[in-house]
Amino acid sequence: MLRMTGISKSFGSVRANRDIELVVPAQRIVGLLGENGSGKTTLMNILFGMVRPDAGRIEFDGRRLEGHTPREALAAGIGMIHQHFMLVPAMTVTENVMLGWAETGRWLHPVAVAARIREASMAYGLDLAPGSVVGSLSLGAQQRVEIIKAILRGARLLVLDEPTSSLSPPEVSGLLDVLRRLRAEGRSVIFISHKLGEILDVCDEVVVLRDGEVTGRAEVAGVGRQDLARMMVERDVTAPLERVIRQPGHERLVVNELTVRDAGGIMRLRGLSFSVRAGEVLALAGVDGNGQAELADVIAGLARPESGHVFVDGADVTWGGVAARLAAGLGHVPADRATEGLVREMTVAENLALRDFDRPPLRRGPWLDGSAIRARAVERMAEYDIRAGDDESLVATLSGGNQQKIVLARELGRRPTVLLAVQPTRGLDPGATRFVIERVLALREAGAAVLYISTELEEALGVGDRIGVLHAGRLVGVMPRAGADVTRIGLMMAGVLDEAPGAEALYGTSPA
Amino acid sequence: MSARPLAMSLLAVVLAFAASALLIAAAGKNPLVAYGALLQGSLGSADRIAVALNKATPYLLTGVGVALCFRARIINIGGEGQIALGGLAATWVALRFPQAPAVVLPALALGAGALAGALWAGLAAVIRLRRGVHEVLVTLLLNFVGVLIVSEALQGDLGELGAGFPQSPLFARSAWLPRLIPNTDLHLGIVLAAAAVIVAHIVLWRTPFGFRVRILGASVPAAAYVGISPARTFLSVMLLAGGLAGAAGAVEVLGVHYRLIEGFATGFGFNAVAIALLAALNPMAVLPAGLFFGFLETGALAMQRAVGVPSPLVAVIQGLTMVFVLSAMGLTAGRERV
Amino acid sequence: MADALVEFLAAAVRIATPLLFAALGGILSERAGVFAVGLEGMMLAGAFAGVVATYGTGMAAVGILASIAGGMMLAAVVAVATTRFRADQMVTGLAVNILAIGLTSFLLRGLGARGEAPTIRVTTLPPLAVPWLGDLPFVGPVLFRQPALTYAAVALTVVMFVFLVRTRPGLTLRAVGENPTAVFAVGGDPVRVRVTAVVAGGALAGLAGAVLSLQQVGTFTDGMTHGRGYLALAAIIVGRWMPGGALVGCLVFGAADALQLRVQAIRLPVSSYVIQMLPYIVSLAVLAGLGRSARLPAAIGAPFVRERR
Repeated sequence: MLRMTGISKSFGSVRANRDIELVVPAQRIVGLLGENGSGKTTLMNILFGMVRPDAGRIEFDGRRLEGHTPREALAAGIGMIHQHFMLVPAMTVTENVMLGWAETGRWLHPVAVAARIREASMAYGLDLAPGSVVGSLSLGAQQRVEIIKAILRGARLLVLDEPTSSLSPPEVSGLLDVLRRLRAEGRSVIFISHKLGEILDVCDEVVVLRDGEVTGRAEVAGVGRQDLARMMVERDVTAPLERVIRQPGHERLVVNELTVRDAGGIMRLRGLSFSVRAGEVLALAGVDGNGQAELADVIAGLARPESGHVFVDGADVTWGGVAARLAAGLGHVPADRATEGLVREMTVAENLALRDFDRPPLRRGPWLDGSAIRARAVERMAEYDIRAGDDESLVATLSGGNQQKIVLARELGRRPTVLLAVQPTRGLDPGATRFVIERVLALREAGAAVLYISTELEEALGVGDRIGVLHAGRLVGVMPRAGADVTRIGLMMAGVLDEAPGAEALYGTSPA
Repeated sequence: MSARPLAMSLLAVVLAFAASALLIAAAGKNPLVAYGALLQGSLGSADRIAVALNKATPYLLTGVGVALCFRARIINIGGEGQIALGGLAATWVALRFPQAPAVVLPALALGAGALAGALWAGLAAVIRLRRGVHEVLVTLLLNFVGVLIVSEALQGDLGELGAGFPQSPLFARSAWLPRLIPNTDLHLGIVLAAAAVIVAHIVLWRTPFGFRVRILGASVPAAAYVGISPARTFLSVMLLAGGLAGAAGAVEVLGVHYRLIEGFATGFGFNAVAIALLAALNPMAVLPAGLFFGFLETGALAMQRAVGVPSPLVAVIQGLTMVFVLSAMGLTAGRERV
Repeated sequence: MADALVEFLAAAVRIATPLLFAALGGILSERAGVFAVGLEGMMLAGAFAGVVATYGTGMAAVGILASIAGGMMLAAVVAVATTRFRADQMVTGLAVNILAIGLTSFLLRGLGARGEAPTIRVTTLPPLAVPWLGDLPFVGPVLFRQPALTYAAVALTVVMFVFLVRTRPGLTLRAVGENPTAVFAVGGDPVRVRVTAVVAGGALAGLAGAVLSLQQVGTFTDGMTHGRGYLALAAIIVGRWMPGGALVGCLVFGAADALQLRVQAIRLPVSSYVIQMLPYIVSLAVLAGLGRSARLPAAIGAPFVRERR
């Protein structure tokens, strides 16, 4: 049904897709397995017409698809269920289905459409009431609305991008059932996921992507989990960086039974507990979307948990907001450096002063001490080798690496007792990456506790004294770096292995 | 401070003048002559300049406040109501205590005006913060209510019986705002306005509070990251802006009319918004922008009398300038120094 | 007494008419995601164009068409600035209002001698009595002996309801105001929808101006809209962005205005100014009451930017 050959795409220097070949016959469910940045989403965006490939061919039902728009892809019979739904929350299911569906003409026929919705709902077990307002539906139900939209428009190939990230377990099995029914009547599905278990559950065939290339292809029936996990994460693990082996000290960051629900009511953190000790780095690996953002927000004071506590250096800061964290000595290098950690339209000096402009020495009475701010800026710029015109340059003009250096200089310059670093090397070149890691390790030397959250497995392995894996809001494994098995970690990241780590692992009482 | 947004404002002004020149030409008059008369009418004599500066004063005061609001992501169009109530409060003080000495009384009345304006803006802020109603709507509606309160007050004790028009009795001399230069019309208000501009600039760029406002205006996520309370900043800025507007109303009442006249605040609020935009939200730039408006309006009548070009052309220039500046701001959002 | 009541109610309906046209136009714009702050200016432009055209050609029909055109031209400015240039919607509306005041007053004086404002008089549109219904006691004079444009406004309310709720273009328009990306994903053009909605809204606002100048007063004076455009905004919000709700809101405001004009005659112990405040205070109260649940179209105020995923 679908044949994609030689697909290549680069975004600047990043090669998102490298000569990828994908064949999907009729009546098959094909799984696309891979971590963040493996190129899955880019490939599908190319298929759906949202992105143009640099090279390659797409054939659907024997017809060539080239330079097409999403609308044309839809018309050809390809239905895409995005991770972020394209629905109008204020409208009913019927209205959302009718939107953009030219078949029904100038006048709306909600009654007729509702009947067809009910019909399809029954046939595929979708359980949707046409009159319900989409905004009031669970995310799982909203997803089913997207599916029904695709079905009613005659999509014969459905593409689902990480469809289960916001579903509860019963909803997940419900979805997989729906997919099986679709297959039974001749349609095909591309199922994109990093969750091995689900792929093995419902797919006929699985294609493994890593770093933009196909690293493996197999019939699900004949392949083992270990093999797939290996295809997903196998890499030359570079020698971990030089460091002093030391006994970790007292607990500096303690997270206790943290539970967080998102706005839609889905649990994002499930009773998470762990601690990080003075002089050690706990690196949390895991595919994006498994609770990292929520964990970071709660620890940093940007969000409140439903239940649970956060202790920084002994102080309970759970409900104290950012101020309490700062007072307790927390440093935060956020994932989103450009919008959260920096103000791009302000100068280097001002950004370096962002945390404590309200206190002496940067503040003198009711005034900001401009010369103190500048002096500090000059000092930090030298210390961290920040390349900028001068301290009055706008941060927006700096490279990503230099921007991150500013964040580091600011956060580390406060000599925090606990550092929360989230994806600190994202988008940085190798030189800048090394710099960041060196500084983090230096902080570790100085006795701080570092929680290092990263989706780059390699990096986590290189930086952490202990490595933890986050999956679906839980820590499914924590192990010391020495002797950490990449395959085991891969299986954990894919949700297949859950070691339910014990207190020793969680609280670091075993030596590194 | 980046010159680019100010250059764009200048360009917008030039374009607006050019477009209006087309209108003038279409009406059969010579644009250059008309603009010449405009200049003459506003800068032609010491008298005219004095009038222009007086006219600019409320614009400067209110414009600075609105610029600060915009900086903090607040769209405050309640200037008219705040000015009106400021004038009312100043009137009340002036009429109540005519015996007070000639320096103290205007000062007191000014303070009362600023307080009234601040409270009115504070009311809008509270409704916005507590009930989530957009501040544009709240300040807009409160404008009407504020102006009507003034009209109502003029029907009562504060009104002058027998006058053909709702207004208060003339104030005692002791209440009048002193002249800056004797024997001219120019009153002290312009000094106040200039001071407000400078103070606002200093506050914005040299105090922790101003820093917080700039961070909030630049990036809401960054503000959250730093731990800035949006609500507290919102309220503070609104109170400040309201106070400035109220003071503007007091200045008008104490320095220009020497009484409270119904409708004296008409249009000031919206013009303040235009000025704040023209100044690219920089307090210092509000000075030339406000002066520009003041001179424009002063010259308008002269232009009409001399050349026959109707004075409302000035509003056309103002409106066009705003549209051009807004379009330019929309296109370049996020690239200028905050 | 009954006569006075009838007269009062008939006046309320009459006064509500321009508000209703403006509110309906504003609903189109806001439902598509663009704040309709410029209604005041569009109304003024329509009022002016209507009077001038009627005076020039002697035909009220031409005047009405001209008023529609006037509103549309000003709306085009808003549409282009906010979609093509991503200018802030609220403030652009304000700018257009200032522009309208200047333009209309300028052009008015341009028509007179020596830059003075002439007094243009046109005959106001006469009331049109609906046969038989107009003779009903009480209801007749209130509802069925109104000028033609008033009937048009009510009819338009129904038409707009049907349009928004029962037609495909209406559905698309509403969707653009809630989630333009969703519309884009199914092949729609949110920018074109917004521009069309704003300009159509301007046409209706222009018509509202015609009601003011041609139907009610018979002339044009500077700034004659007097804030009615903003009151229409309040009616939209109070009416929850639905035509029927706006109708009710406009009637309430019309009644308040009619009451304020008659307060002397009725000898109520309340000052007319306080009554004039009522519409605004009521709007504020309703807004505050609705609070955060005031269901604004979700995507209003934000320019639609095509994202590359």
